[in-house]
Amino acid sequence: MGLFKSVNQLGAWGHFKILGPIIIYASVLSVFPLGSSLWFLDGERFTSGPLTGGGVMASHTFLSLLLFYLYSFHLLRPIYCSFGSNGFETTSVPKEEEFSEELLLKPLPDYKVLAHFHFTSISPPSSSNGKHHHLFPKSIAQLVKKYKIRELELSFTQGRWNYDRWGASDPLSTANGKPPGVELWALFDIPTKEEIDATWRNLTHSLSGLFCASINFLESSTSYSAPLWGFLPNNGDLRYGALPREAVCTENLTPWLKLLPCRDKAGIASLLDRPSIYRGHYHSQRLKLRSDGLNGIVIEQTLSVVLQPIDRTSWSMHQLFKKSLTGKCALAKSSKVFLEIERSLVSQNENILELVGEADMVTNDQRDHSTIYQYNVERYSEHEALDIRVNWKKLLQVSFLQAPLHASRFLMGSGNERGSIAISLQSARNSTKGLYDNSKNCFTRVVILQVVPWYVKVYYHTLRIYVDGAIRDAKDVVEKINVTPSEDKVSPGTLEMMLQFPCGMMSAALILDFDKGFLHIDEYPPDANQGFDIPSALVSFPDFISRRIYPDSISSPLLQSYKGRNIVKSYTEVLLVPLTTPDFSMPYNVITFTCTVLALYFGSMVNVLRRRVSEEERLAKSKDKRKPGLIPLLISKISNKVRGIKEDSANQSQSSEPILGPKVVFKVVLIALIAVLGHYFFNSS
Amino acid sequence: MASDPKGSQLRRILLIFFSLSIILPLSSPSPTMHNNNWAVLVCTSRFWFNYRHMANTLSLYRTVKRLGIPDERIILMLADDMACNARNNYPAQVFNNENHQLNLYGDNVEVDYRGYEVTVENFLRVLTGRHEASVPRSKRLLSDEGSHILLYMTGHGGNEFLKFQDTEELQSHDLADAVKQMKEKNRFKELLIMVDTCQAATLFSQLQSPGVVAIGSSMKGENSYSHHLDPDVGVSVVDRFTFYTLAFFERLDMYSNASLNSLFTSYDPTLLMSTAYYRTDLYERPLNMVPVTNFFGSVMKTIPTDSAYPGFLVAHASEYATISAETETARVVLEDEADHSKTYDQSEKGLQHILDEWLKLLEGKLGVKDPEVLVAYGLGSMVLLLTISTWLSS
Repeated sequence: MGLFKSVNQLGAWGHFKILGPIIIYASVLSVFPLGSSLWFLDGERFTSGPLTGGGVMASHTFLSLLLFYLYSFHLLRPIYCSFGSNGFETTSVPKEEEFSEELLLKPLPDYKVLAHFHFTSISPPSSSNGKHHHLFPKSIAQLVKKYKIRELELSFTQGRWNYDRWGASDPLSTANGKPPGVELWALFDIPTKEEIDATWRNLTHSLSGLFCASINFLESSTSYSAPLWGFLPNNGDLRYGALPREAVCTENLTPWLKLLPCRDKAGIASLLDRPSIYRGHYHSQRLKLRSDGLNGIVIEQTLSVVLQPIDRTSWSMHQLFKKSLTGKCALAKSSKVFLEIERSLVSQNENILELVGEADMVTNDQRDHSTIYQYNVERYSEHEALDIRVNWKKLLQVSFLQAPLHASRFLMGSGNERGSIAISLQSARNSTKGLYDNSKNCFTRVVILQVVPWYVKVYYHTLRIYVDGAIRDAKDVVEKINVTPSEDKVSPGTLEMMLQFPCGMMSAALILDFDKGFLHIDEYPPDANQGFDIPSALVSFPDFISRRIYPDSISSPLLQSYKGRNIVKSYTEVLLVPLTTPDFSMPYNVITFTCTVLALYFGSMVNVLRRRVSEEERLAKSKDKRKPGLIPLLISKISNKVRGIKEDSANQSQSSEPILGPKVVFKVVLIALIAVLGHYFFNSS
Repeated sequence: MASDPKGSQLRRILLIFFSLSIILPLSSPSPTMHNNNWAVLVCTSRFWFNYRHMANTLSLYRTVKRLGIPDERIILMLADDMACNARNNYPAQVFNNENHQLNLYGDNVEVDYRGYEVTVENFLRVLTGRHEASVPRSKRLLSDEGSHILLYMTGHGGNEFLKFQDTEELQSHDLADAVKQMKEKNRFKELLIMVDTCQAATLFSQLQSPGVVAIGSSMKGENSYSHHLDPDVGVSVVDRFTFYTLAFFERLDMYSNASLNSLFTSYDPTLLMSTAYYRTDLYERPLNMVPVTNFFGSVMKTIPTDSAYPGFLVAHASEYATISAETETARVVLEDEADHSKTYDQSEKGLQHILDEWLKLLEGKLGVKDPEVLVAYGLGSMVLLLTISTWLSS
């Protein structure tokens, strides 16, 4: 660590640019045999977590890549500038690390409340602190540097976003709707496919250590895929994986909160009372980061919770979270709470809901879809906590902006042999008036990304497309298709499809047949009887952009992100496929059963073959006969013994004859006999 | 190397250091204090009705954290998610008592292995430290020869096995082998194994490594029972053995001097409904002298070194010129010790040499002489002995 300090002492950044990499490279090379742990001396677990894990990557390649990375700032700047990615719109590059915290509350039509926490940390590319950070989480910075991540998003979700009721085409739902379980995707700045795969594997392990989750199950090539355009247009440097059954709980939230400078001790994050937020209907915790030479590293940490207020007609922040907001995190540049009211909730009758608490600013978005009430947290203190209260005067059932088509997915067929996956798209025309006309040349484009594990063997040639109930030739509808068939125990099947539907269409369905595969007995999970999950399919509508533009007077990273060109997309349900599961106790049963049968058979056979009944009978008879008195018994015993000795010695002599001379043997036997006789003689006398 | 005197000197010094590290454990008995504490807490049961096993493990987790072992030195393995289970009426909370006074799943739980990751393979990998390269530090047991390790396991077991996730078993041989490997790799100084399962005592039958104490909740043929059922949660929330272990620890804090013996004697078979079993024959220290905080608490000994990384010795070889006289004398002592070991080696070698010679001589004699004669003489002397003995006995 001292090395970097000394580099810093060189002074100007310009110097560092030229000399830095060389110095770092040279000095680190000299130190390196000890593994990469050198870089991460911080005692904290989550900082040391990710890096040491992967420390086994060939050290020199790592260093040379690091060098490459440092130079890439320089070389790739024009490329970075031209690469516009959705979601992030950072207008100005700050000179220093920045952190801002925001909370957006939004009443939903079914009287639930969406609470969306949004934390942004920015680390400029030319940090004045060298390798050190004061607000930005170091573990993430190291992760980005080590794995050369350009973009990454990790989400932990419990429950399913209800696109019908909570909206599907506004920026908030587009960003919030995430598939259940864990979803991870990353774009790398690495040229070759093999290196990307290796980096992805290390990344999953690092994240698993960082967030206390089994993300490392995504390391196996059977669980991740590399979609080219179905998820996000890329040059093959994107990796995408999902774990639908991963549990999401406190232990995932805690390390996520530790990335914040104030953790959950102060500011908006202090509202996160675990029992309250995990009681919600939907819970999605995300970490999204983007890194480039121009803007440095930007992390967006968001947590969306859909809560059910106890009293449906009236709720307040304190009621929802069981905690009150008493001030901002001192390290945050801005700390704001927004209340967003959709126009559709209020426009019909102005007095339908009532707000208690004075907002600092009230604005509408450009298209007048919603009204935003802004509250600045720094105005509040322990004496006067911020508590927004909303009272409904009348209950009404409306729904928010829908996606052009409502997507759902289900299984067809029965039995353990084969089945079909169907994706159904229903038009939601009534809620998106004006988007369609019935002219012949109007088309709606739909992109479907479907990743299927290998043991569900999809026959892609069986694709059937129904439009308004009538089967259509695939050529007419499919504009672009990319299929990566699954390979047994190697890779999952990936289907990317761009479809063109006529605008007037009411419904469409896509059906694919599949066979169910067999797993090796060791590959079954402990609860195989529950079935196997097929991750959610992603249905996106590239022609529909969800954006909301607010006046520039509100400076908020959250509302800035609304301005981005977010494509409307929705995730379908997770499918549960029951596979043939063996009776796991069967091998044991078979072994015990066959062993018993064998033992019985073998025992009786041996008995039959080897038993000599007549001899046994004779023996028994002779035993019966021979019941003499004590003295004859003794005599017979003695005589036996004597005979036995004789025989023995005779045997011995016979066997040892070739070794010993006959004379010697004779002498020995004679002497032994004399000795024995003498013994008996003396004893008896 | 010969052309570089500095380098060769360095090599020598390193060599001495290495030889010292080999000699030290022989020459002096291991120091009484350990350097650090680790805890491996394992809940091996899946499914909601095994809630109590997770509560057991989390209770122990809370206890060792309260007594000072930091999170990065605890490996927590939980086979299922109970806190956010859909059946849990108290989301993000786990209780080990029906009074619900204490939420074990507080705001700062770090689970290292969970769900499908809790397998026999991963468990043995944690113990023996044989991980894949990319496994992060937080999932590794990074103990050393000065570590005291607490290994707590709970789940369903039987005669010489413990079930993992209802699909696999950890057998007593596996456990003993892992512990043996740990011992050989200098991964612990002392190890306390605490197991709360049915027939827990049988799990220890194969242990052979020194420095291991084992406590089991029940003897062979006995069951371990749950303590009580929580009507709100709907399942049993804690096992008896763990419940009374916790009752013992609740009275203690970091500075308490309660001994292992007092823990062992605190179990009442009528309350446990089973007989707690202790295996102490592999353990040298008297149990009444060992505080429980040696395993359940934590020490962090700082070891002053010249440099944070031994590799810096290579990098800054020139610094050796300015080494203080004190270290110089120490080095002389070390060299002496090294010499001593050398002479010892020589004497031992001489002894072996003599033995070899004698064997050779015997072999030669036997080879030269007629074996027949030798046998005959042998028999003759035997007969002689026999006659004399009979004569004497009469």
